[in-house]
Amino acid sequence: MKMLMSSAALAMALVAPAAAETLVIGVATAQTGALAPFDAPVMEGVRLAVDEINAAGGIGGNTKIELIEKDVRSDAAQTSIAAQELVDQNVSVLILPCDADPALAAIGIVASAEIPAISTCASSPTLPEIGGDYMFANFPGDNVQATVSASWAFDQGHRSAYIVYSPDTQYTTMPLYFEEVFTKLGGTMSGRDTYTIGQQDFSAIATRIAALDPQPDVVMTSAYEPDFPSFLKALRAAGVESQVIGSDGIDSPTTFSLGAAAEGLVFTTAGHATEESPLAAFNARYEARYGKPPETIFNAVGYDLIKVLEAAVLAAGSTDAKALRDAIANLEGVQGATSVITYKGTNGMPIREVALVRVSNGERELIAQLMPDAALIPAPRMQ
Amino acid sequence: MMTSPRIHLFASTLAIVVLAVVAVLLAGSISAASERILTVFFISLIGVAGIGIYSGNSGILTFGHLSFMAIGAYAASILTLPAPMKAATLPNLPGWLAATQLGLVPATLVAVLLTAVFAAISGWAVKRLEGSAAVIATLGLLIIVHGVIIGWRDVTRGAQSFFGVPRETGVWTAAIGVVLALVIARLYRDSVSGLRLRAGREDPIAAGAVGIRVPRERLIAWVLSAAVMALAGALLAHFLGAFSAKKFYFVDTFLLLAMLIVGGMTTVTGAITGAVVITVVTELLRRLESGFSVGGLEIPPVLGTAQIGIGLIILFAMFRKADGLAGLKEWEERVFRASLPRPASARGPAIAEPEEEEGQIPLRAENLTMRFGGLTAVSHVSLEVGPGEIVGLIGPNGSGKTTCLNMLSGVLVPSEGTIRRGDMDLTGLSAPQFAEMGIARTFQNIRLFSDLTVYQNVLVAALSTRRGHRARPRAYSALERLGLLDKAGEDAGTLSYGDQRRVEIARALACQPSILFLDEPAAGMNREETEDLMSRLRGLASDMGIGILLVDHDLHLINKLCARIIVLNEGHLIAEGKPEEIRNNPAVIEAYLGRAGAVEAETGTEIETGR
Repeated sequence: MKMLMSSAALAMALVAPAAAETLVIGVATAQTGALAPFDAPVMEGVRLAVDEINAAGGIGGNTKIELIEKDVRSDAAQTSIAAQELVDQNVSVLILPCDADPALAAIGIVASAEIPAISTCASSPTLPEIGGDYMFANFPGDNVQATVSASWAFDQGHRSAYIVYSPDTQYTTMPLYFEEVFTKLGGTMSGRDTYTIGQQDFSAIATRIAALDPQPDVVMTSAYEPDFPSFLKALRAAGVESQVIGSDGIDSPTTFSLGAAAEGLVFTTAGHATEESPLAAFNARYEARYGKPPETIFNAVGYDLIKVLEAAVLAAGSTDAKALRDAIANLEGVQGATSVITYKGTNGMPIREVALVRVSNGERELIAQLMPDAALIPAPRMQ
Repeated sequence: MMTSPRIHLFASTLAIVVLAVVAVLLAGSISAASERILTVFFISLIGVAGIGIYSGNSGILTFGHLSFMAIGAYAASILTLPAPMKAATLPNLPGWLAATQLGLVPATLVAVLLTAVFAAISGWAVKRLEGSAAVIATLGLLIIVHGVIIGWRDVTRGAQSFFGVPRETGVWTAAIGVVLALVIARLYRDSVSGLRLRAGREDPIAAGAVGIRVPRERLIAWVLSAAVMALAGALLAHFLGAFSAKKFYFVDTFLLLAMLIVGGMTTVTGAITGAVVITVVTELLRRLESGFSVGGLEIPPVLGTAQIGIGLIILFAMFRKADGLAGLKEWEERVFRASLPRPASARGPAIAEPEEEEGQIPLRAENLTMRFGGLTAVSHVSLEVGPGEIVGLIGPNGSGKTTCLNMLSGVLVPSEGTIRRGDMDLTGLSAPQFAEMGIARTFQNIRLFSDLTVYQNVLVAALSTRRGHRARPRAYSALERLGLLDKAGEDAGTLSYGDQRRVEIARALACQPSILFLDEPAAGMNREETEDLMSRLRGLASDMGIGILLVDHDLHLINKLCARIIVLNEGHLIAEGKPEEIRNNPAVIEAYLGRAGAVEAETGTEIETGR
């Protein structure tokens, strides 16, 4: 009897460390600066998911999640410093900023420390390609989004397009993928223009487009705040009536408050809350927690990220960094708030659905939620 | 050649090496994280030392030096970036550059050289600017280089981050860099060029008068400091592994300048002090930035706490210690107060005598005229000063005496007229060229290099004239002649008025002049001091054959010293002759005393003294 008790105690002692195990997540995101409009809402979703999981006893009922957060001020050098500090604190996984550039600032650290890293919402398909085995994305790729919007435009009967892009970041070159798909489908280009991030004045570009005869059927850009509102207003003020297509960067409250200028605007994003969808359920829980409905899809994207990590810990059966990396790379069919997410068979750019949304009477209207034809998706490349 | 005692440089270098090694060992024993903080600190300190080389010695604040750091970072990184990474991220790079892949050391050397070349070009434009014009020009440089980096996408990736740089800067690499940078900064400060530049910082006009070409020294410091900044940039890039143009812009400029200003711009001790203080405070505040609780009181996170904290420290430092925490002296200068050794070659009285041939030729000015806009300050004045004679130049206030001296010493270029010395036409030469021709001077309102010691004041003059030949014995001899040997180690600015006047004369004498202009040398001296000065001046003329042109209001002094007196009034030469002739000249009496005085003078009163 005594022996039985002691062996039970021994068994408990052996189990105890496992029960007390914690998944330490290093969070190096941009809470200030140009990327804050994306990373700040992502973190709300992340915290919601972490609190839900911890309230239920942790991942699998025994692994609590701990976040160590650092602000990287939307700056590459700061990201590198913060990532290194987090690695020093023995985190199991790193969360990196929304844009590919600051996220890539941490590749050297991620690779040498052999710790998996996920960018909150970077959508450049070159991110995992350059970042290597330990770098993952958490958003539909630029090339995938552009394929969805270009295919839709062509199906609508649009045959000529004008693109406006900025070589300042990978993300703002998405229109070049759009051009590739659109011309492959048989459309023609009316022209292309470049801008500088933070340019403010778009009247020259608007005037150039307005002077075209015939007018392009579609104007496509992946500009975001504060450039996109200025661009759109300048375009409409110049009398251009063409269909404007944007991307996930404009999935923000600002876009829906632009009034008549934004009416009919179409953009791609990570998901849409149809009735009884997981996203609608997430939105309800978000409102209960924060006392306001979510204003952007990036809240739910943050929730997705933690769901991916939860699934990876369950699959790996541990919080060991290397085991987690392998587990993430082999995840299949993880149910997130926005979509079903699969990493298996990719280089780290997840397969997930793209929602095509139209601004209609200042509200969001779902056009389609789909995975595009894989044959049409352009190969990732540095622009 | 170094201008300070060996013990100073030795103590300083030793301390720098020991501190760096101890810091590395200490950080290594704590954690990897503290090693990284130390690495960042070392790199910042290299930058601070780099800015200090220019700003500290020239006195011109620079906002532009982060641009050199940027050039160093980008140049070195492009060279070390692995070729496959280059092909992926910089596809439009020229072929030869895309194929190049160097190690950190050769890449850094190339980057430093490249930056130095760029600095030599930009420095050419900046070196002649004074005061706020120079500061604004450096700010312009920062903005221009930033703009070029953003625009030159094929090479720099524009505004996107530059990543994939091998992270090869470890704490020991940074330690070697910081020792190198600090020792360079320390040695430059006391090099001939550094001493000249500091003299120029204290008083550019006086510096010119003792033969210093201030713009040239500025250019040297500019290029050297740019090279040190490039080293900081290269090391930083290889520490971070990724950076963007933003890293080398206003925020970091502010940070490094804060370190330099808080610590004290003019010394290496100050650079280290400031970097330590700011780093410690930033690290503390950065930890508080994310919020904390004190005794149950929750302090919410405040972003930007670190920046606000640094701002407050600067305000505090400026308010309480305007010269920075370390002040104007290096620590070793305070600890080892060096005595002035008598140079072996200084024996014998002939040491500061002017060069033989030049000493025989008089200085002749003809028809000197100076117009400032509509005002004619000096009109058609001709005068001559010969070897070994003491000539008095007198006249009421505003009669053009000082303007005359300024033209005769190259401070002003005459509107008309010529200045000749034998066959040599000196008209239009610069002040340093006049000094090189054996013409030295003092100033009416004392222009000493106040924060330099008496010895340094004199030495820098000796070093900057006569090609610096036998500078130490000349400086020693000049101090000896004016009875200043016991004050050699004191700061010139702390001396009494009379002593300051004597230092100015000693400084002029150290230029080994054949002609000496003294502008009110006895002003502010008591009777005893004046008598002493008079005998010393007589000695200069009689023993050494120096021709002296003496301006003073003390007519007693003038009458006793001068064999010949020239009188100016309202810019015109109104009289010239022996003292007794001048005393009785009605035009002179009228100029000094007005018409009534002239009548009185005719009845027998003489002008005896102006005091």
